[in-house]
Order: sequence, then structure tokens, then C-alpha cells
Amino acid sequence: MTYRTISITNLNRLFEYIIESKDLFAPKEREDQPGFYRFDRILKPDEITLSYGTTTIPPKAFFFPPEETLFTFSLSDEGAKLNPELEEAPFVLAGVHPCDLAAIEALDLALGQPPADHRWLFNRRRAVIIGVDCTPDEYCFCGSVNTLNSRNPADLFLTPVSGGYLVEIPTARGLELLSSVETFEAGPEHLEEAETRRKEKTAQLTAAFNRTSADIAGVLESGGFGDIWKELASRCYSCGSCNLVCPTCFCFHTDDRFELNLTSGHRFRSWDSCQFLEFALVTGGHNFRGLRRNRVRHRWRCKFLHLYKEFGRVFCTGCGRCSRACTADINMADVINRLVHESENHSETRPGKEG
Amino acid sequence: MNKQIQESDFPNPEGHWELYWLPHQAMVRRTRRLASRIKLLKLEMSTKAAFSYFPGQFIQLSVFGYGEAPISICSSPENSNVFELCIRDAGNLTHAAHDLEPGDRAGVRGPFGHGFPMNQLKGKNILVIAGGIGIAPLRSLIQTTMANPGDYGGISVFYGAKKPADLLFIDELENLNAEDRLNLSTIVDEPDRQWPGRTGVVTDPLHEFKIGDPENTAAVIAGPPVMYRFVLMKLLEKEIPEDQIYFTLERRFECGMGKCGHCRLDDVYVCRDGPVFSYSDLRDRREFNEIKQDED
Ligand SMILES: Cc1cc2nc3c(=O)[nH]c(=O)nc-3n(C[C@H](O)[C@H](O)[C@H](O)COP(=O)(O)OP(=O)(O)OC[C@H]3O[C@@H](n4cnc5c(N)ncnc54)[C@H](O)[C@@H]3O)c2cc1C
Ligand code: SF4
Ligand code: SF4
Ligand code: FES
Repeated sequence: MTYRTISITNLNRLFEYIIESKDLFAPKEREDQPGFYRFDRILKPDEITLSYGTTTIPPKAFFFPPEETLFTFSLSDEGAKLNPELEEAPFVLAGVHPCDLAAIEALDLALGQPPADHRWLFNRRRAVIIGVDCTPDEYCFCGSVNTLNSRNPADLFLTPVSGGYLVEIPTARGLELLSSVETFEAGPEHLEEAETRRKEKTAQLTAAFNRTSADIAGVLESGGFGDIWKELASRCYSCGSCNLVCPTCFCFHTDDRFELNLTSGHRFRSWDSCQFLEFALVTGGHNFRGLRRNRVRHRWRCKFLHLYKEFGRVFCTGCGRCSRACTADINMADVINRLVHESENHSETRPGKEG
Repeated sequence: MNKQIQESDFPNPEGHWELYWLPHQAMVRRTRRLASRIKLLKLEMSTKAAFSYFPGQFIQLSVFGYGEAPISICSSPENSNVFELCIRDAGNLTHAAHDLEPGDRAGVRGPFGHGFPMNQLKGKNILVIAGGIGIAPLRSLIQTTMANPGDYGGISVFYGAKKPADLLFIDELENLNAEDRLNLSTIVDEPDRQWPGRTGVVTDPLHEFKIGDPENTAAVIAGPPVMYRFVLMKLLEKEIPEDQIYFTLERRFECGMGKCGHCRLDDVYVCRDGPVFSYSDLRDRREFNEIKQDED
């Protein structure tokens, strides 16, 4: 890995250079909610805020939008003509935090697994990603899920140091992009400053799991958490916000929509939530996850057990979005710690494998 | 510190994604009403590419503008570019599919999923247990065994439905029964005056059935979720080995290929890893053991 440094002025030049030929998306303060940020299309570099708090909508939206057309169709006597409408234009996504980089990496596994989700892959291939180091808040627990210093799949990664940023250059695409502006070789003092910053960041984390993320799978597998799921279900509204803001959730719903002429239309997919009552409902009225406590349980088992077994990593990056979004104050790290506590302290009295 | 991600780490997005993600055209060749809300559709793929499938696999059927739904292929794979679907009008897509006429076109993705383990069934006596429209995937299996009679032992079909009129494909099943090519037991819940047969549930004839050699017997089951538990208890009572009892499971499917998450049963995707599973595969999976109807 090569390290360079870049001044604020040159970084802004880099952004200007990008804007000249491509779409640039980066964190921008929300006009409707000052103090909150979202990834948005950037027209001028000064619209960007690189020291921002976690966005509500995760950056996965640029590769897997909240709603997208899978194909358009037009009907005639010869049948249907389908057009998959794939975007080709390259873009740059800047200002992605380590946890959100880890989420994109996780989705590369889940969606890239054959038969690959070509829309995800096409979109991933057209993007250059610039990461940036963050400042955690009281909801973040990246220290517990190995994402504190994630870099993949960033092409460039920025850490604030005096006079500008330290730039890590993990990929050839990153190097190529960076070569358009002036940068300097990083000295040991810059690397040290960045290291100190990372230590401070780690010290700032307040939320944490009481066990390693790998242990959580075993905890969930052992079961016997009926009372915890029941208690959470008594508070949960099944609103689905926790899934909809999650950077690693990838469940979707598909349906068709006609244009008014009834001879053309499109099939779309949109983000879905396993917490919705209808998620596992089938014709005839049978609902395979009709009990709210089973839906709640599924969220934890899916992320920390099933997907862990399948891909060797938990599908939670510690971003804290679900905890921030939950109107019932259901907190991801707290729930994990309750499960751990329950499994350590009540193993004899717990009822079999249920729950 | 970090592995560098390379372009070559990506599966090739230009690969054969259309095969999975875009419906292919199929022409409706024939339609036939089988029961008040059930129709049989014969489709022919318009694409040149070979379309081959195994009994127990399903396709994702599209009627553009009305969506998509998983439907089992109910015909024998012997002539695979032409195949049959047995569809119950149960909602948007299935209702639109009932309006299709010969000459109309529909969209087909697939075939998807793992069907019945025809190789493991070879040489075995097979108990085919169907409830209602569950006969659809099993008809494909029955036809396959009929076309290759030397490969399998005796075939016994236990078929239960709500009303006599809901027993599908009854003529062909009775013909095969009359020719002694299989052994058919039918039973209905709500008989009418003309019904000459038995009244009750599908486990009744199964209970009476004498199984000489359970080790050499396999059971395949398709029907409504509530039927599974009772049938399973009966089969275990009769000492059929757990890994020779096969279910085809229903779940909500949207993508049919392990992506959308709707069909998850613990750590498996029913669409991708099933829909046919052996009981030994399902036994320890929590979400299989808790088939409950309540909502809250
Ligand atoms: C592997 C497999 C094989 C199958 N094989 C066959 C077959 O061979 N033949 C056959 O007829 N069927 C088969 N089915 C069942 C078939 O897929 C369903 O009947 C079909 O998906 C219904 O789709 P639809 O668009 O017609 O109904 P929809 O309009 O989607 O809904 C029908 C019913 O589902 C419920 N529902 C659906 N979506 C919602 C929602 N968002 N909110 C609330 N309620 C909702 C409602 O109860 C509604 O009445 C199979 C299913 C599977 C999984
Ligand atoms: S955000 Fe909270 S209330 Fe809403 S579904 Fe998730 S856990 Fe339940
Ligand atoms: S589960 Fe919650 S904390 Fe974990 S990645 Fe998803 S939104 Fe972030
Ligand atoms: S139907 Fe989409 S994952 Fe199984």
C-alpha cells in the first residue's frame, strides 16, 4: 500500500475534476434537517461535508436503489419486448465510512454469489469509491464486528491529518484517479498522526458487544431466548425501519406496474423488510412468520447466524443505524448483550432449543 | 493489511444473467379447465435454447403487468420444450394466467430449484402423497416413473382433496390404476351425493397401507402446510427412514433464486436449496418445526 498526502485545496480540485466528467455523490448537509447528512449529487466541492455523522440511508443505495426498474416491457401481438435498462455511466461515490465500506463488501458476497445480481455488479463496476475515516457516536459499535478500520472495497481512503488528508491507495483505479492532482509522499509523522486519530476513535466507542461477533452465532444457535424475543416483540411496531436503513440488508420485493396505456410498463424491485407482517405470507393465508416474536428473532438469527454460516462474516457492520431509527428504542448492541448474558447465566433453566 | 480488490474478483457481470433475471417468452398452446378455479396451461418455449427440467422444479411465470409467481411444472420432462402448468386462481398473477388463451404469450424464468431426487428413488417403492393442488409437482414425478417403469419399485398414490371436484387429473390416475401401473387411493373431506369413494383425510388410507420393506420405501409429499405434520407422523410410525421422506415446501417466493430473502427457512433458501427437502434435512431447523398459524 502506498500512502500520500493531499491538501484540502487539492482535494477540492480533485472533486472539481471528477464533476467535470462524471457524477459525484458525497455526504451533504440536509437542508430540511440541519446537522444531518445524506449522500447526494454534488455540483460544487464546497457542498461536501467529509466530517459527517452516519447518514440515515446507507450508501448501498447507489448500487441497489430503494426502488429500481428491473426491466421495461412493451406488449404487442409478437409478445413482449423487454429492456433491462442498465446504466453504464461511471460515477464516483465519496466520503464512505469504514463500516459502510464493509457493508458493500458483505453485499458483494451475498449478491455476487451465483446467480449473481447483475444490477449490483454493473453498478459496482461503474463506481470509484473514496472512503473517509469517521468519528463514532454513542450508537456505533464497529469495534465489536471487525469493521473499525475496514478499507475494502474503497479505491482511495482519506484520514484527516494536519494540513489535509492522508490518502491510502488500495487499488489501481484509485491511483489513476488520484494522479490527476498534486499529492505528496506521506512521511512517518502523517502515518503516526493517523494512527493516533484511530486510537482516539477507538477510545471514543461506547457501545460494544460483550463477546466477539464470531461467538454470537453460537449463542444464537443455542437458543432458549423465548422471553427476550417476546419482550422485544411487545415493543416492536414491525415498522421495518431497522431493515430499511441497514447497509447490509438485501431483501427485496418485486412487482409490475402498467403505464396508463396498458400496453407497456415495468417490473420493479424495492427494499423489503422481514419485519413486515406480509413478508412470509402465502396464498391461502398461511403466514410462515406470522408471530411478531419470530420476525424479531429472524432479524438477529439472519444477520449473526445464518449469513455468518454462509459467508463467514456477520451481516452487521456496527453502524448503529437500526438503533438510531427504532421508535421502540430497540438497540442492536443492547440486545446482543442481553442474549449473551442470558446464555451465560441461565443455561440450566432455559427451555430446550426453543426460541 | 487489506486484500486489494481487483476487477477480476467480480463475477463477470456480462455472464449469463439474462437467463436468470429476464423472463423468456413462451407461447400458450392449449388451456383446459380442471376444476372451478384451476386451469391447465400447456406452454411452449419460444427460445431455441434447450429448456430442460426435473420433476419437482418450478418456473417463475410472468404475465407482464401482473407480476410473477412460482408454479411447479406438472408434466413429464420427456418433451421439455413443451410443458404443462396447473394453476389455481389465487391472486393477481394466477388470475391473469387464467385469462390466457392459445396463441397468447407468457414469460418464463427458470426452471429453478432442486426437484425430487430421482436417482435416490431408483429401485425403491414410492409412496406419493398429495393434498389438493400438491398433485401438480407430483404428476411430473408420476409421469417420469411411468415412462421408466423398470427403474422404480411399486408406485402408490395417496391423494386427498376437499371435494370430489377438486381431485385433479383423476381420469389419468384412474386409468393408470386400472392398468395396474400404480396403486391409487383417493379420499375427500366433503363428499357430494355422487361420490362413491372414501371420506376422510389422506392419512387414513396411508394408515391402512401395509409397507413390507420400509428401508426400501421412499415417500414424496406435496400439499398444504397443515397436512405435513400428520403425514410425517404416520410415515415415521411406519418406519420409513428420515432421509427417504421428501417434502416439497411452499414459501413466499419472489425471485426464485436465493436473492430476495422471502423464502428463507433458517439458513436455507427454500427456492434455491429446495423446494424439495428430505425430512432429515429439515428435522433440526427451527422454522420448519414451528408451523403456526397465529399472528400478532
Ligand atoms: C415452489 C412452489 C410451487 C408452486 N406451484 C404451484 C402450482 O403448480 N400451481 C399453483 O396454482 N400454485 C403454485 N404455487 C403457489 C403460487 O405460487 C401462488 O398461488 C401464487 O404465488 C399466487 O400469486 P398471485 O400473484 O396470483 O397472488 P397474489 O396476488 O400475490 O396474492 C394471493 C394471496 O396471497 C396473499 N398475499 C400476497 N401478497 C400479499 C401482500 N403483499 N399483502 C397481503 N397479502 C398478500 C393474499 O392472501 C392473497 O389473497 C407454488 C408455490 C411455490 C412456492
Ligand atoms: S425499527 Fe424498531 S419498531 Fe421498527 S421494526 Fe425495527 S425493531 Fe421493530
Ligand atoms: S443491523 Fe443495525 S447496526 Fe448492524 S449493520 Fe444493520 S443497521 Fe447497522
Ligand atoms: S424466492 Fe427469493 S430468495 Fe427464495
